Amino acid sequence: MTDAKKNAAPKVNIDALDCMIKVSDLHKSFGDLHILKGINTEVKQGEKVVIIGPSGSGKSTFLRCLNLLERPTSGSIYLDGVDLLKLNEKGVCYMRQSMGMVFQHFNLFPHLTIRRNITLAPVKLGLMTEEKANEKADDLLEKVGLYDKCDAYPSQLSGGQKQRIAIARALAMNPEVMLFDEPTSALDPEMVGEVLNLMKQLAEDGMTMIVVTHEMGFAKEVASRVMFMDDGQILEEAPPQEFFSNPKNDRTKLFLSKVLI
Amino acid sequence: MSDFIDKLKETFVVDDRWQYLLRGLGNTLIITLCAAVLGILLGFIVAMIRSTHDKTGKLKIANIFCRIYLTVIRGTPMVVQLLIMYFVIFATLSSKYKIVVAILSFGINSGAYVAEIVRSGIMSIDNGQFEAGASLGLSYRRTMLFIILPQAFKNVLPALANEVIVLLKETSVAGYIGMEDLTKGGDIIRANTYQAFMPLLAVAAIYLIMVIILTALVGKLERRLAKNDRR
Repeated sequence: MTDAKKNAAPKVNIDALDCMIKVSDLHKSFGDLHILKGINTEVKQGEKVVIIGPSGSGKSTFLRCLNLLERPTSGSIYLDGVDLLKLNEKGVCYMRQSMGMVFQHFNLFPHLTIRRNITLAPVKLGLMTEEKANEKADDLLEKVGLYDKCDAYPSQLSGGQKQRIAIARALAMNPEVMLFDEPTSALDPEMVGEVLNLMKQLAEDGMTMIVVTHEMGFAKEVASRVMFMDDGQILEEAPPQEFFSNPKNDRTKLFLSKVLI
Repeated sequence: MSDFIDKLKETFVVDDRWQYLLRGLGNTLIITLCAAVLGILLGFIVAMIRSTHDKTGKLKIANIFCRIYLTVIRGTPMVVQLLIMYFVIFATLSSKYKIVVAILSFGINSGAYVAEIVRSGIMSIDNGQFEAGASLGLSYRRTMLFIILPQAFKNVLPALANEVIVLLKETSVAGYIGMEDLTKGGDIIRANTYQAFMPLLAVAAIYLIMVIILTALVGKLERRLAKNDRR
């Protein structure tokens, strides 16, 4: 943690330090609509958690609660022992720097070149000099295989390329954990592979990842734990071999019987 | 034909009457330019407050003041605002500062329209852009400054230019407080020569030329801004 982060969030709960993220009794309502009904889970450093479930089950809402894009109604979320819900505005910004997020619709900045998309946040936040950030951007572009596009604009890229840039943009902040919100759902089938391959590579590098997806193959191959959600609750959590071959919950069984694996 | 030339001479050359138009044009340009700057500044500030309130629920009281400002300014005629400004609010001010009062009136009036233009531009940017900025750890203010505003500005540029053109033409009512602007200049010539056709047509032509130049400039700027989002 940087000094700035410590200043923004001085209170560290020792009990919550045994894992990177600890969520307890998380509730979220939109008006009368009760979306999350008490989520309890933990994520350890280096774990790859894949969240699956029917649409409307609260997977995305849960993910978006983790970096406070949605403010939970009640409950607590600890990141490295710090209660995120007690952070002030500044503290929330620092916290988000260490949580990268990749969106279903990419959300690249259309008015900036690819390189500026990647360097904007590190430079404006004073984490890197322009020069350093450009070097880092070039490294990342090399890694995602799009170095030749560095001076292009997002509108000139395909969906798969956009998503790979979005991943590079999140990685430029050197996050501790990456959140993926259905990263392949808006892509042409042809382009799903390139994004999943990049995510696999990321997983192999040891990145802590939480992924909401409908790609069962990815869950099987990459996940260290699969989480099944329905109706705002986690119904089952297990390593993928066990989860897919021997599901315990009836709802999980029904779900798995209906999806093509 | 010689009759026409005589009229032309009488309108513009005799007693150096063309100077009324030149001086008037100068005043019109000064008022338009300063009021446009003031209006755009004011409009951006009000748009920021209003959209921040819409997006985050903060700045409640400031938002109420902004709404009152918008309602009053957009709900009353420009000429009435100008008269109130000159004869009520700044009644004690020496009449040589007339032009300042005019700039203030037109700027405040224009600001209300600019505010709604800019606000609609900000609200039209996909919420995903705000979220992407936030997810990278950028504060609301930085997200607004580096991500939202550049895109919003580009989107509203045509409407904004339109507003400046409207403003330019609107300044023709400055004569109500005795400002010698372009329209007033033409009117003085008309009163002196008892000829309406020449001076008024000349005034109309000058406005038209200015608007055409302005439109061309904006078109150029728009094309330059559009370079980076060929879709």
